[in-house]
Amino acid sequence: MKSVSSQTLRNAVVVFLVVGILFLALGGFLRPILGVVMDPFISAQRWLSERFMEVYDFFTLPRDVADLLQKNAKLKDEVSSLQSQVIQMQEQLREASVLYSLLDFARSRPEDKYIAAAVIGRDPNPFLRYIIIDQGSDDGIQHGMPVVTQQGLVGKVDAVTASAARIQLITDPGSVVNVRLQNQTADAQIIGSVTGEVTLEMLSQNTDLTPGEILLTSGLGGNYPGDVIVGQVSEIIATENQLFQTALVQPIVDFTALRAVLVITNFNSININSLVPIAAP
Amino acid sequence: MLANFIAIPVMLILSVLQITAVSRIVLFNGTADLVLLAVAAWGVRERGKNVFLWAFIGGLLISFTSAMPLFTPIAPYMFIALIARLFQDRLWQAPILSLIIVVFAGTLFQHIFNIVVLQLNSVNLGFIESIQKVTLPSLLLNFFFLFPIYVLISDIGKWVFPEENYE
Repeated sequence: MKSVSSQTLRNAVVVFLVVGILFLALGGFLRPILGVVMDPFISAQRWLSERFMEVYDFFTLPRDVADLLQKNAKLKDEVSSLQSQVIQMQEQLREASVLYSLLDFARSRPEDKYIAAAVIGRDPNPFLRYIIIDQGSDDGIQHGMPVVTQQGLVGKVDAVTASAARIQLITDPGSVVNVRLQNQTADAQIIGSVTGEVTLEMLSQNTDLTPGEILLTSGLGGNYPGDVIVGQVSEIIATENQLFQTALVQPIVDFTALRAVLVITNFNSININSLVPIAAP
Repeated sequence: MLANFIAIPVMLILSVLQITAVSRIVLFNGTADLVLLAVAAWGVRERGKNVFLWAFIGGLLISFTSAMPLFTPIAPYMFIALIARLFQDRLWQAPILSLIIVVFAGTLFQHIFNIVVLQLNSVNLGFIESIQKVTLPSLLLNFFFLFPIYVLISDIGKWVFPEENYE
């Protein structure tokens, strides 16, 4: 009986102590002591957790990398697809701007009728300066029709097939264009060369020629309509002892970057060869 | 027979490439000539006896597109085919060397021929100026395109004549 009482008393003391400690802990009175006791456990748990996560990552990361690589490849495909779309758009925009410029030029000369054509090739012979366009006799193109851009004179139609035409540029060594000076009443000729340079010739010595002078087609000879800008005098070649003046001309059209041209369809060139006298043998 | 027929699509593709792309690649005033290179590359091959047909087809296609007097571009290609066969007979163990010599001589002949023809047609061309500013850059560009065309033509040759594969 005595032992039972003592056991019960001991249990009661233990319960009392435990409940008391719980109350002290819940009341926050044991926090410093708990901190000292728990900190090593928490540190150990953190270390263990980190090591575990490293091991976990080691086994699971390759799968994620493969997944990321797949996604990356897909995104790269999308980027390249979008880039090609951007390039196509830029190309279309460039073509549209060229066509708008040509349209503006056509509106500024309502008396002429035009057919727009894209440049699809160049003469394979390096001595000649011809281009090939994608419009032919089926579209109304005929031999001798003048060709222009929004900037100025390009040349004339030299040969025609059903769906394409060949244009002789004014820079071709066989090209001769009758021109006049914009600010003076003087006629001359511009002649192409094998290097693509254009020279002004047959200009009277009485004319006061200065660099920067604008040249327009004169319409003489019946090959080109009048008043189309051809180029600008860039350098005068001093030839005082000769009958005529000579100068280098900077064409207004950039022939290396020709993409589209306008063919003037309501201008009929006149062949005056039969009027040229032939020297008697 | 296939070697004859294959000349038509090959020359057609090369002439289209020439007109649309290669003619725009200009060094000073010179351009490469893919048809000339193809004729030379086929001609220096051991089995390239039908190179004259290649030259004729190539010249004909160029003749239709160029502003040169009709059919005149055929003559230089035929000459190139001739000298290619001559060199093949004599330097059959060194096709690359033959090819370089044929392209050099062929380009010079073709350009001099063109200058003479254009001058006869009253086109304003200076001989020395043309050689300096057109022919020499063209020669350089022809050498630049020489080996890619040679490889292409060799592959076509191996396809047409499979028994040559032991080379």
